[in-house]
Amino acid sequence: MSNYWPWWAGAIGLALVAVGFTLATNRFLGVSSAWDRVLHWRAERQIERQNALFADDRALAEMLAAATAEHFGAHPAAPPAPDAAREDTPPRGQEPGPTAGEGSQATSLRPAPLFTQAVLLLSIFVGGGIAAASAGRFDLRLDMGEGFSEIVTSNPITMVVLLFVGGVLVGFGTRLAGGCSSGHGLSGCGRLQPVSLLATAVFFGAAVVMSFLLWKVI
Amino acid sequence: MRSRGGMLVATMVAGLGLGFTVTNIGFGDYAELNRMFTFQDLRMLLAFAGAVAIIVVAYAILRVRRSPARIHAGVIPGAVLFGTGWAISGGCPAIPIIQVASGYLPAIVTIAGVVVGIWLCRWANARYFQLDRGSCGL
Repeated sequence: MSNYWPWWAGAIGLALVAVGFTLATNRFLGVSSAWDRVLHWRAERQIERQNALFADDRALAEMLAAATAEHFGAHPAAPPAPDAAREDTPPRGQEPGPTAGEGSQATSLRPAPLFTQAVLLLSIFVGGGIAAASAGRFDLRLDMGEGFSEIVTSNPITMVVLLFVGGVLVGFGTRLAGGCSSGHGLSGCGRLQPVSLLATAVFFGAAVVMSFLLWKVI
Repeated sequence: MRSRGGMLVATMVAGLGLGFTVTNIGFGDYAELNRMFTFQDLRMLLAFAGAVAIIVVAYAILRVRRSPARIHAGVIPGAVLFGTGWAISGGCPAIPIIQVASGYLPAIVTIAGVVVGIWLCRWANARYFQLDRGSCGL
């Protein structure tokens, strides 16, 4: 398996992707959060609509307040805080954006448009396919490779069960921790965020323990 | 570049780049992954750590602000589950996608597991944990 990239090429590639994405979009790359939002597209679309509505509502409230002030010469009342519709969706929408200091607050606070998250997942697939095909590594197969057969299991039924259980742990764990190897590992550690450094150390540690168990014990 | 079209192009390029790079590093190869986690081969570990080092320097030069994200009760249990699942299935949320793209059809099952896990987490969080887990994408 010597036709994989040397470590430095991989490091440069990953860094270019993460930094380039941040530069271009003012946001941070995170695959598990893209999954989360695409899978909950109904709720997410509602949030997007509400956010768009709030933008209009707030403009209207500000206009009314200004007109009132003009008319009565009083202190303009502050527009009401648009919290009502967010109550049923506590995990999203309230977290302050890391780059809120740059550019206009309102736009940089919003999560990336939902459809771009679906595009991210699809283009990872296409990028992976191009890499595999161009390296001559594409191989349609019904197992997970010799490594998996030797280290984990060669029984196809056990394999399917383990892949599913592992996948559930990955999906549940990344969302509970608030990020995965791209969100916490690259983007978060890149910002030296304590929460990401902690999460990365813990998931790496857990993976090391489990890998040793699979390799040596089980 | 914060228009919708600009976002779309940037995200597409990032996704293509991520899929291409991760596949060429070898993250989709279970044998390579196990060798990384058992420290038999440091190549992929260095690729990841090297990337983090470059990103730290780049964000510092570009003055990308740190997020005020808090450490919440879900971080450690979530990360333990994630690490365990990664070691078993060989997949983090992006990897089964590139595994399928490389021809490993059973990785579809891993993706199905990830989907179920993500659904379960949002449901369980809304019902039981009620944590503000934050989002890594902002």
